[in-house]
Amino acid sequence: MTAIEAMTSASLVEIARALRQRKVAPLELVDAYSRRIEQASSLHAFITPPGERARQDARRAGRRLAQGESGALLGVPIAVKDLFATRGVRTTAGSRILKDWVPSRDATVVARLRAAGAIIFGKTNLHEFAYGVSNANPWWGIARNPRDPSRSPGGSSGGSAIAVLAGLCAGALGSDTGGSIRVPASLCGCVGLKPTFGAIPLEGTFPLGWSLDHAGPLARTVADAGVLLDVLTGLDAGRRARRASTRGLRVGVLKGPIVRKVQPRVSHQVEAAAAALRRRGLRVREVTVSEMEWTIAIQLVTLRAEASAVHQRWIRTRPRAYGADVRIRLQLGALVAGADYVLAQRMRGRLRAALERIFRDVDVLLLPTTPISAPVIGDRTVRWRGGEEPVDGALVRLTAPFNLTGLPALSVPFGHAGGLPVGVQVVGPWMGEVRVLAVGRLLEECAEG
Amino acid sequence: MPVTEREELAAAGRAAGLRLTAREIADLLPAWKRYLALVEELRAAMALEDWDDGD
Repeated sequence: MTAIEAMTSASLVEIARALRQRKVAPLELVDAYSRRIEQASSLHAFITPPGERARQDARRAGRRLAQGESGALLGVPIAVKDLFATRGVRTTAGSRILKDWVPSRDATVVARLRAAGAIIFGKTNLHEFAYGVSNANPWWGIARNPRDPSRSPGGSSGGSAIAVLAGLCAGALGSDTGGSIRVPASLCGCVGLKPTFGAIPLEGTFPLGWSLDHAGPLARTVADAGVLLDVLTGLDAGRRARRASTRGLRVGVLKGPIVRKVQPRVSHQVEAAAAALRRRGLRVREVTVSEMEWTIAIQLVTLRAEASAVHQRWIRTRPRAYGADVRIRLQLGALVAGADYVLAQRMRGRLRAALERIFRDVDVLLLPTTPISAPVIGDRTVRWRGGEEPVDGALVRLTAPFNLTGLPALSVPFGHAGGLPVGVQVVGPWMGEVRVLAVGRLLEECAEG
Repeated sequence: MPVTEREELAAAGRAAGLRLTAREIADLLPAWKRYLALVEELRAAMALEDWDDGD
């Protein structure tokens, strides 16, 4: 393997350093990633792979680096989920309906990445309109897990997770409405961060559910996610997390019925993560939040109604322009009664209050990101003792509570189950990204050690 | 007057401005039934709220 090929599997922090030290040129890096994208085309990570514009941007970044300019991401190739508007580059939202949409402006997040010097490196595959977690896209290809191509990478930011894990970019941007950053991060084995609701602006992002949508990074390491977070928010939680002490932090390991239906090998990794944190001086105890039992009902009513509002014209005039699963969800959303939506919001308030109470007693929550490891593509149900559960519902059961409450949540790879990666989720209080990232970094060290 | 679940769903779809084909109604019916069951769970949970203790 050549030095430049090895660099494609380096972390974003290492790549940015190598670029600053001029050990590697942005154009060399872009060309190396592009070769890998071609080799990995069967994974369907990209809807629009990076083109000539990325090479032009790389040449420009090379000149700026040669002149001694700096920037957090100067010359670093970042892939972007194809629901963030990119000026002059097709933005499909994974749909047929928007197959020819070429935005005239960048989404705010894309503009912030460019302002930090990043090379926008292609548009990644997603579940159609981000409305699902299988990433089996009927128009742009069924995305496949790089760990095992017969399995799903999860979604809806599946293309971004594949691109990060397979070394097709230095980092990626995703969105998360019920778990769409953390689920693919968990199933593929990379880091995924859903920050506090509103911390990253969503102008120019095709919406799914206005009160649930979040943007955030997918990355190879927790430190990489922190660098991207700081660029995307304009704040410094990532930088502060690198120096934050974790000693004595109180960790609540989530127990109760909502985590009873979890594959034993996944539970085992979460217990191992808790034990590792205890050994590192954190105070670990068990907690329960009974209100989380309502998650799926609240999330389903809220999201069905909100997504249907976004799509209300097209679902009535062009229903056949959607894939079957998304069409059914949108049609169902059109039938949600106003009273049911209000009821769901009332219960959502109770869930929020319950989690606020928990965070008086603990600093972070620890739980599995997904109750199962990557399912085989096409699997519809998970069998548990005492019944079945739809795969889509199972995959978001432990992530959606933090979309409903807007709390920051990070998925970090921690061990394996049957050869497939397991994601452990660290959740913090409102704007608690520093401690979430600090604990995530510690887990990463423990997993490596 | 709708008498079957399918007729009820078709009527709800028409009221919402959807043009559901017979195939779409069949596709939608399991999701619709699951939705109704989940809403019932929410209503039951809500009933536990102490909201009529004033008089």
